[in-house]
Amino acid sequence: MKKLLALLLCLMLMIPAFALAEDVEITLWTYPIGSWTDDAVVSDLLADFNAVHPEIKVNVQFLDYVSGDDQVTTAIEAKTTPDIIFEGPERLVANWGAAGKMLPLNELFEEEAGKAIYEGVAGSCKGKDGNYYEYPLCMTAHCMVINKKAFEAADAMQYIDAEKHTWTTEGFENACKALAATGFTPVTGIVYCGGQGGDQGTRALVYNLYSGRFTNEDFTKYTIDSEENIKGLQKLYDMVQEGLLTADPGIVAAEEINYFCNGTSAMGFCWNAALETNNKDNLAENVEVFPMAFPSDDGVPTLDGGIWGFGVFNNGDDAKAAAAKEFIRFMCNGNTKAVYATGYFATRDMEDIYTGTEKEINASYSIFAPYFGGYYQIAPNWPVQRTAWWNLLQRIFATGNIADEVAVYLSEVQ
Amino acid sequence: MAQTVPIPHGMKEARRRENIAGYLFMAPSLLFFIGFVIFPMGMCLVTSFFNYTMTEFTFTGLKNYQIMFGDSVFIKALVNTIVIVVVSVPITCMFSLWVASVIYKMRQLHTSFFRCVFYLPVVTGSVAVTVVWKWIFNNYTGVLNYVCKALGIISTNVNWLGDPGTALWCIITILLTTSVGQPIVLYVSALSNVDHSLVEAASVDGATNMQTFWRIKWPQIMPTTLYILVITTINSFQCFALIQLLTSGGPNHATETIMYYIYYNAFKLQNYGYGSAMGIILAIIIAIFSAIQFRLAKTDNG
Repeated sequence: MKKLLALLLCLMLMIPAFALAEDVEITLWTYPIGSWTDDAVVSDLLADFNAVHPEIKVNVQFLDYVSGDDQVTTAIEAKTTPDIIFEGPERLVANWGAAGKMLPLNELFEEEAGKAIYEGVAGSCKGKDGNYYEYPLCMTAHCMVINKKAFEAADAMQYIDAEKHTWTTEGFENACKALAATGFTPVTGIVYCGGQGGDQGTRALVYNLYSGRFTNEDFTKYTIDSEENIKGLQKLYDMVQEGLLTADPGIVAAEEINYFCNGTSAMGFCWNAALETNNKDNLAENVEVFPMAFPSDDGVPTLDGGIWGFGVFNNGDDAKAAAAKEFIRFMCNGNTKAVYATGYFATRDMEDIYTGTEKEINASYSIFAPYFGGYYQIAPNWPVQRTAWWNLLQRIFATGNIADEVAVYLSEVQ
Repeated sequence: MAQTVPIPHGMKEARRRENIAGYLFMAPSLLFFIGFVIFPMGMCLVTSFFNYTMTEFTFTGLKNYQIMFGDSVFIKALVNTIVIVVVSVPITCMFSLWVASVIYKMRQLHTSFFRCVFYLPVVTGSVAVTVVWKWIFNNYTGVLNYVCKALGIISTNVNWLGDPGTALWCIITILLTTSVGQPIVLYVSALSNVDHSLVEAASVDGATNMQTFWRIKWPQIMPTTLYILVITTINSFQCFALIQLLTSGGPNHATETIMYYIYYNAFKLQNYGYGSAMGIILAIIIAIFSAIQFRLAKTDNG
């Protein structure tokens, strides 16, 4: 009798173990990409996912761009990385993927849905070893923004092509002169260089001024020392010296965006569709948003792209990795709600998801799509480059010695 | 020749039990100390001899140390750190002593009020304090620019945190406001504990206030002074949060400190071995400074 009771007890204890074997609990860390910072939005997406996959529980942790990288670095060294992470190829592919911390996602790209991803986007998700480390959800072109009211007050709208949202370097300089003379806003534009946040804006500003490139075409070498880029840096330095722009080593892009929104600055160098949506309630009365491409000598800009998607950390647990891939399939393969939450555009052909919604303005940003340049952020030593870039700008604005400072920069990043 | 008195067996047993009990009481703290202080220190020392990155872990001997002393940013960070220590430690100590000397004689309510006021930045948290100071130093709308312009001190806005000439001094100013709270509380306590009969006797003998202070009070508060000196020095050497939240070491490394440069190398560049080597050098420098302070204070104390 006692033996039978013991056997029954053992069987009872094993029941939950069998039940748990089928359930998987995974963790998602997400950087602030559009509304993927909003707990309600993400919970709604997870509820949709759990309706299809009740056996997979997803725990979410929201990261920010100030401390997020530190958290991930710490987690990698402590071997406590999440299963899934939501960010771009510069981190997922060029940093953690290249360091062997991510699982290849090649099988997802080989599936029918994976083949529908735009070729250029898919190429940006591939590491130097030929493996894919990111499965993309959305993309956008980073642009800049001007305060239309300030430009109108300074009669500076004449210097822009309002239809194409483009302008030339000469037009940009003239506009800055007009804005500075009018004084509608305390400053015309702020070249922020206090840290790496939003550094794509200052990079695009520099290399567009004289139609340079930030890297070579293969994304294997930094070309900031090219004649065009040196001229661009010199122009920027000269404009700061003349008081047409303000160089501020004390702030990063987030603060610069605030200064644009509260009417301190007449233009901002870090902008995109999601930022307009997120800041629509923060705009001062004398601010009217007018997105612009970066100025270039020929008026044809090249814009930095943003591609965001999911990567899977190699945590050595096949069940969790399989669950993570299932989550990625659900979110990325034609899930309009997941793309809508980002405020950006799908990385495959998809119907217009913004017209008639509260994010209708986002649809207008598709005008910048033709100017989308290559995704050079997967160049070697990208994390080193990111910290070296804002230090380079700080040194240039402090010393004015462009050639020497560029040489120092290259010695750090190459 | 002194004769050793044998300890009875029962007393030995009692002492042994007492020792065991003592060690058991100490064990949780000791384990915590070993796990979170001694072990990481040992790991730091070991990794400082390796090229330790996210992808590599190879023994390189003293190479990290060689690189360090040829690294101009490290040298700049070292100089900045020493400037912060040399300026902020004496000012913190003198200001705290002065404030404590004034307020400890007041009525209890007033003393408590001032203790709270000066201690407030310590308990407020560095992020909140930093946000307020960032607003004060703001280049475009900051209150400091507004006041200085109104007083005719400056004609155009100064980018206090963005100018290499002013940024470090702004950091030191903020550091002072967050550093004086604890020393003031300690000095008030130490001055209140000074033997009043000696002060009264000196007064009867015709000693001036200054003589009373230097001959009677100062020697008695010397242990407190030594503690404050050492703690303030260590805190100043480890200045990090203010730099990270306000300037990220810029502009042009003008506010780079060793602590921030360690963080920058370890977390931004993922160069853990090099960061560890700098941590070891920082620990040695702090130990040397502290030893000098102990030595000087011991000499002064006679």
